[in-house]
Amino acid sequence: MRLDRLSLVRSTAHAFLCAAWLLTGCGRASNPNETVLTFSGSALGAEGTLVAKQLQRFMQLNPGIRVELQRTPDDASQRHQLYVQWLNARVGNPSILQLDVVWTPEFAAAGWVLPLDKYGPPRAEFFPATVTANTWAGKLYALPWFADVGLLYRRTDLVPNEPKTLEEMVADAQAAMSRRGGPRYGIVWQGARYEGLITGFVEYLGAFGGRIIDDKGEVVVNRPEAVRALEFMRDELYKTKVAPLDVLTWHEEEARFAFQNGNAVFMRNWPYPVAAMSDTAQSKVAGKFAVSPMPASGTAPSGHSTAALGGAQLAINAYTDHPDAAYKLIAYLTAPEQMLERAQAVGQYPTRPALYNDARLRTAIAIPLDNARRAIESATPRPVTPIYTELSEILQIELHRALVRQAEPGDALNSAAARINALIERTGMRKLMTGAAKDSAP
Amino acid sequence: MKKISRLGHEARLGWTLVAPALGVIALIAIFPLGWTFWESLHLHELRMPWLGKPFVGLANYIEIAKDPRFWAALGHTAFFTVVSISLELLIGLFLALAMNRVFRGRGFVRAAVLVPWAIPTVVAALLWRFIFESQGGIANALLVDAGILGQPMVWFIQASTAWVPVILADVWKTTPFVALLLLAGLQNIDLTLYEAAAVDGANAWWQLRHITLPLLKPAILVTLIFRTLDGFRVFDLIYVLTGGGPGTSTEPVALYTFNALLQNLRFGYGSALSVVIFAITFGLAMFYVRILGVRLGGEES
Repeated sequence: MRLDRLSLVRSTAHAFLCAAWLLTGCGRASNPNETVLTFSGSALGAEGTLVAKQLQRFMQLNPGIRVELQRTPDDASQRHQLYVQWLNARVGNPSILQLDVVWTPEFAAAGWVLPLDKYGPPRAEFFPATVTANTWAGKLYALPWFADVGLLYRRTDLVPNEPKTLEEMVADAQAAMSRRGGPRYGIVWQGARYEGLITGFVEYLGAFGGRIIDDKGEVVVNRPEAVRALEFMRDELYKTKVAPLDVLTWHEEEARFAFQNGNAVFMRNWPYPVAAMSDTAQSKVAGKFAVSPMPASGTAPSGHSTAALGGAQLAINAYTDHPDAAYKLIAYLTAPEQMLERAQAVGQYPTRPALYNDARLRTAIAIPLDNARRAIESATPRPVTPIYTELSEILQIELHRALVRQAEPGDALNSAAARINALIERTGMRKLMTGAAKDSAP
Repeated sequence: MKKISRLGHEARLGWTLVAPALGVIALIAIFPLGWTFWESLHLHELRMPWLGKPFVGLANYIEIAKDPRFWAALGHTAFFTVVSISLELLIGLFLALAMNRVFRGRGFVRAAVLVPWAIPTVVAALLWRFIFESQGGIANALLVDAGILGQPMVWFIQASTAWVPVILADVWKTTPFVALLLLAGLQNIDLTLYEAAAVDGANAWWQLRHITLPLLKPAILVTLIFRTLDGFRVFDLIYVLTGGGPGTSTEPVALYTFNALLQNLRFGYGSALSVVIFAITFGLAMFYVRILGVRLGGEES
């Protein structure tokens, strides 16, 4: 009896050990001369097939390196949470991390990803904004893999010419709405209280010449330009009434449905809806829309056409045993050929301006290459700071309060600035930020 | 002598037998609680390893006390708890009284009433979100058809209207549970009391006030405990329905804590918030247990 129990305990313990062993991947017999890398990132559907294909090719070119795919959640904030937990535990896997554009400074300042400068990365071959977004304290920490960029979609049957200014856009929208049988909405965007609201705000902010944090690291989000930008957004809802109040609860998809069903003249969105909206089976606006960069305000001398920058970057886990091999893989995946292939397979925009002269890209991304390139060139990274996520949360709340008329734009932005400054003090960022801004100013 | 040593032996045996249970409780309740408290005395930001993990005493608690968002969240939680529980008790009592009558198909009705309670909260919340969607939501369609609203309304952009779906959803989902608890209480009441009252010429209202409600008190108190503690921890319903918005005007403390702890990964501050919530719910529970204990004791004697 006693013996039985003991053996039961033993076999259970054994089972647990085996399970743990398998989980950590030690279960497989491995070649001691082989370097094993783990790659994590979006691996769903067509993207998954593409990544698997490219990794396979990389392994053929580099016989000493084996790459394993480690699945991570597709939802950005879930992936972020997982990465942070692993890195706090100093786990070396995955050796290559896929970072959202706003995470790089956070991971760099925490010492979780390695600077790439010693490998001589081809900085000049990427769009400057994508390099700035990945630079912290003067060092480059990740290479831009693909770019996402805010675009203005327009119904060409209602507004044939690209509006030159924000004011013109509103006038065009009003004119088209007042036509017989014209769409219900003038412009639709993402106004729910989430990260998407910040990306939209950044575009209006640039259009009026404002910024959230300036090059000296000062919080300037309550300056007059910023207040005017927020007032302009609010006027679209309550004064010129080109945007429906519904947008204050909308994300990307709700805006796409409205535009795709022919209910809106303009839409602010990322490039991804182009494919679905060009499909006559599901779209009422196929062949009747065009994209262009978001225009600047005609009333602000320092305003400029601005697009929010999104997209993914690849970085090396600071705890990996094989940083050199990891860089090799990153360099391979961000090389022109792989980027072009990615654009062709899943329509994601390359981060290399040279590719926009390539005829093969034209068929891949379905919109005029020149418009795409202009939009990315006007792209502005959101504040490049390790405390971005909390900064963004503060701003999301205050912007939303102003847009739902719980607060006046000026008051909301003053409150945002005060809270962001408090955040900077609390986290000891002041010194770090001024230093970093000087080093990374383009 | 012999007797005492036997008692001691029995006591020892008793302790030995409950030791595994006590060990489990210590492991899953006391240890995490102690750890959370210890964590709450530190500055510990998972995202900012350069800050280290210094001991900061009560600094996190002081930050909470000074944080208007926390006090607002506490207010929202109290508002939500009081309003939704009042409605649930009222409607639940009505349902319980109805279900307590003898009628054909009573068993079926009792089971059917429980359906909302059986639906997972997140699913129910999504359902109510669809109902109150500004475009194509059935609430707007009905109200516009009835002429109450001139045009469809965006429910989730004003604090006052954003609470409507939240409270309706909670009442819809939890009233069946309340009704069932009260029904159990009703069934314990001796029917001869009503017969005697009827003989004495008491009408239905008098019977309700002087027989049903006093004898239902223990059941009502049990319901109150369950529902207050649940209400205080409300999270998933609001997370799905409003996300705490517009701004932060429907944000309850649990959502705020989740945000600090798991979104911003501020382990120190988030732990302090958790400790505060624990203290409040513990206090509430103690308060109810005392009331309940006294009442139950009073009835037995």
